Amino acid sequence: MNILEKLINILKPDKACSSCPQAKFGACQKLAASLEGIKKIAVVGSPNVGKSMTFNCLTGAYANVSNYPGTTVEVFRGKTILNGEEFEIIDTPGMYSLMPISEEERVARNILLNEKPIIVLHVVDAKNLERMLPFTLQLIEAGLPVILVLNIMDEAERLGIKINIEAMQHELKVPVVATVSARGEGIDILKGKMEEYVRTKICG
Amino acid sequence: MSEQKYADDVLGSSFKKIELMLQADYGISKHSIGSLLLQGDDEIISLVKLKDPENFSKIMEAVNFAKSSYNDPLSYIIAIQNQGKANYIIERAMEYGPSKGISYREKISKVMIDPLTGIPIMLLVLYYGIYKFVGDFGAGVLVNFIENGIFIKYINPLVIKIFIKIIPWEVLRSLFTGEYGIITLGVRYAVALIFPIVTTFFIAFAVIEDSGYLPRLALLIDRLFKKIGLSGRAVIPMVLGLGCDTMATMVTRTLPTKRERLIATILLALAVPCSAQLGVILSLLEGNPKGLWVWVGVITLVFVFVGFVSSKILPGEGPSFYMEVPPLRLPKLSNVFLKTWTRVKWYFIEILPVFILVSVFIWIGQLTGIFNFLTMLLTYPIRWIGLPDKTAVAFLFGFFRRDYGAGGLYDIKKAGLFTGNQLVVACITLTLFLPCVAQFLMNIKERGWRAAVGISVFVLFFSFSVGYLVNLAFNTFGINL
Amino acid sequence: MKLNERAEEILETLWVNNEKSPGEWMDLGLAKDNPEIDELLKLGYIKLINNRLSLSDKGMIEGRKIIRRHRLAERLFTDVLDIKEKLVHPVSCQFEHLLQEGIEDDICVLLGHPKTCPHGKSIPPGECCRKSQKDIKKIISVLSEMDVNQKGKVAYIYTKDNPTLQKVMAMGVLPGMAINLVQKYPSYVFQVGQSQFAVDKEIASVIYVRITK
Ligand SMILES: Nc1nc2c(ncn2[C@@H]2O[C@H](COP(=O)(O)OP(=O)(O)OP(=O)(O)O)[C@@H](O)[C@H]2O)c(=O)[nH]1
Ligand SMILES: [Mg+2]
Ligand SMILES: [Zn+2]
Ligand SMILES: [Zn+2]
Ligand SMILES: [Zn+2]
Repeated sequence: MNILEKLINILKPDKACSSCPQAKFGACQKLAASLEGIKKIAVVGSPNVGKSMTFNCLTGAYANVSNYPGTTVEVFRGKTILNGEEFEIIDTPGMYSLMPISEEERVARNILLNEKPIIVLHVVDAKNLERMLPFTLQLIEAGLPVILVLNIMDEAERLGIKINIEAMQHELKVPVVATVSARGEGIDILKGKMEEYVRTKICG
Repeated sequence: MSEQKYADDVLGSSFKKIELMLQADYGISKHSIGSLLLQGDDEIISLVKLKDPENFSKIMEAVNFAKSSYNDPLSYIIAIQNQGKANYIIERAMEYGPSKGISYREKISKVMIDPLTGIPIMLLVLYYGIYKFVGDFGAGVLVNFIENGIFIKYINPLVIKIFIKIIPWEVLRSLFTGEYGIITLGVRYAVALIFPIVTTFFIAFAVIEDSGYLPRLALLIDRLFKKIGLSGRAVIPMVLGLGCDTMATMVTRTLPTKRERLIATILLALAVPCSAQLGVILSLLEGNPKGLWVWVGVITLVFVFVGFVSSKILPGEGPSFYMEVPPLRLPKLSNVFLKTWTRVKWYFIEILPVFILVSVFIWIGQLTGIFNFLTMLLTYPIRWIGLPDKTAVAFLFGFFRRDYGAGGLYDIKKAGLFTGNQLVVACITLTLFLPCVAQFLMNIKERGWRAAVGISVFVLFFSFSVGYLVNLAFNTFGINL
Repeated sequence: MKLNERAEEILETLWVNNEKSPGEWMDLGLAKDNPEIDELLKLGYIKLINNRLSLSDKGMIEGRKIIRRHRLAERLFTDVLDIKEKLVHPVSCQFEHLLQEGIEDDICVLLGHPKTCPHGKSIPPGECCRKSQKDIKKIISVLSEMDVNQKGKVAYIYTKDNPTLQKVMAMGVLPGMAINLVQKYPSYVFQVGQSQFAVDKEIASVIYVRITK
């Protein structure tokens, strides 16, 4: 994603909300209301795994990205086009499991409970898959439409970690995608899988 | 073994029993709701009570039976089972090869978290990041250039010339170009003073955020923060507060207990200056290093004292600290740029209307005499803390925004109306002074009406009392700064 | 062949004396006509020259075992059964004779291989103690007491406080995970898998680790 495009996106008046860090003062509520009825895609996962970065890649909006857990404390909404149709993408605060410990984790869980997302992107840090996979299993067990996003693949590769995507898909029975969202790598594949998923889930 | 088998059966059959009794739609599978019930999730328990009232007592019976069959909490047992399943998949799909190593990052990280080297690094970050870059460069060089080089030289004369032409009425004209005019004061403050300071701060802060330094700072400082009822985790909202207290108040959500959130909100409202204020104060006290140290000392003392006292007064357990420490990463230029841009833009959208509104209020106030009346009222507490009457105007501004108030001091100092002591007292009092309007609204939103109003009243009295005490100390000990 | 109580006491006395002043022969004195002396002589536990007694090598070994039992019994009474200090010695004297060989090692393990009795005298180490020295690296330690750079696997989490447990589990710290202590002060920093966490002492003291290195 090039910076110019992002800037243009931010400057567009109807995107005002996605770029203001305070999602509740007026404009955002309006946008949220106008998005009612639109199909939703939730981005969830542990803190600091690149959820907001992935969200930015998918929407072209800018949600805050920083290198510490707990950057995002409120849900953040943007839009993307899949198969020519507009979808709302929701970036959520990081959560470690379906059992919330802090306030912002509760906010994130409520998205899953209340907003009926048609896709749940579970973003994980690929080098810490062992620690994060139990949450994927929880989400699948919850009957949510999960796509597993193995992000930060660059660091995992540097550590010599190899992940067999096919085997993962076979075991989990959900789509799995490897990405390096910091460099925008794998995002087109992710989009492809999302489109495929939407096609089979909704039309098929 | 047989006991274990029995226990597994209890958990499995409890799951089945509970799933059968759950009738309503919960958005996620009944198995998951059952799992959360078994793990003792209060929110889900009340949800089930609401949505499945008939079966609720039977469901809880099954939950309690399952709980009583195990020594360990069910959440622990379920987590271990889940991890087992995950490990099974990992074994089949993941391989560890030789790593290329990231040892130099590890080494830097170790140096940062070892107190012997970490504390000097922290001081260096503060010195270069805040004092040099924001204070000297942003609040000094840039402000000077925009204020003197652009506004005073070109914009003000030009604007005044234009307005004389288009608005013949002196009274109306002063709304735009008078002493407190929208352009000569409001826009000038926003563009010449606040903009460069806030921008440089946000740049410095974005670099610090993206490097992964903050969690390392948090673990260094945890023990100290425990003394004021907070944990190391609170370092992030506190440091963010140096950028803007309003944003930071929202970030207090990441603190796990109500008590910590309240203490953090109080400290943010009272003793953490936001970037604009900080920058203006750094430039006000430039060339008065002793005064700067007194200011730093008093604010730190207030921070520690109020934190300590509230941690003693407020009920509830002490905080516990746990935090993930992400790898150090090289900040990406594009991210630093975008983040600074969004924040500065947000800050501007927030302050500009207020600044303009203030000019309008003052204009109306002057026409009706209310302005003079209010400044006159304020001169009493102002005299009480030993400041010249003119400072009342700055404090009146401060009611709208603290950074605006600091801007007021800037003009008074420029006019040479302050002695060294008075300047320091004014800086201290205005730093502690009322939270700005936006922060007050955020306090209401996050902490509720009563807490927000309570905090503001406390802060108002406390700030003047500290100002009074500092002034008293100066006079008693014959200190001249 | 089991010695009777009285004979064991004689060996015990001689061993203690030898511990105090090695090589010294003890005056036979009043024990002269004691049948146990003859018995011990016959079995080769003691040597008698000029009315003075000393332990043979065989007697040394047996005496050492008796003392070990005695002092372990003392430890058991004070540490576990909480018997008043004054009563400890007489009670243990009776008890040591009841302890069968082999059981004392179990008690020693139970008490964590104590080095001294409650009176500060050293307890002769048994087979179990030597083994535990070798195995010391394998034992379980709480995270807060590990050395920096020690590695291990999480053995279990032990806490009565549910919120603390939730936090530990949130970090993904569960039995079987590889864990390694990076730093102890000012906060505990440890690595699990590929990520590092910082925690305070309270949390570090609920994670138990089976040390591997
Ligand atoms: N090396 C690398 N770093 C990444 C990648 N994706 C994200 N990051 C970095 O990971 C950090 C966290 O990114 P965020 O997008 O803020 O993570 P998040 O999941 O939204 O975090 P929270 O909002 O705190 O839950 C940032 O420093 C990113 O630059 C990636 O693919 N590779
Ligand atoms: Mg985020
Ligand atoms: Zn502010
Ligand atoms: Zn003894
Ligand atoms: Zn032993």
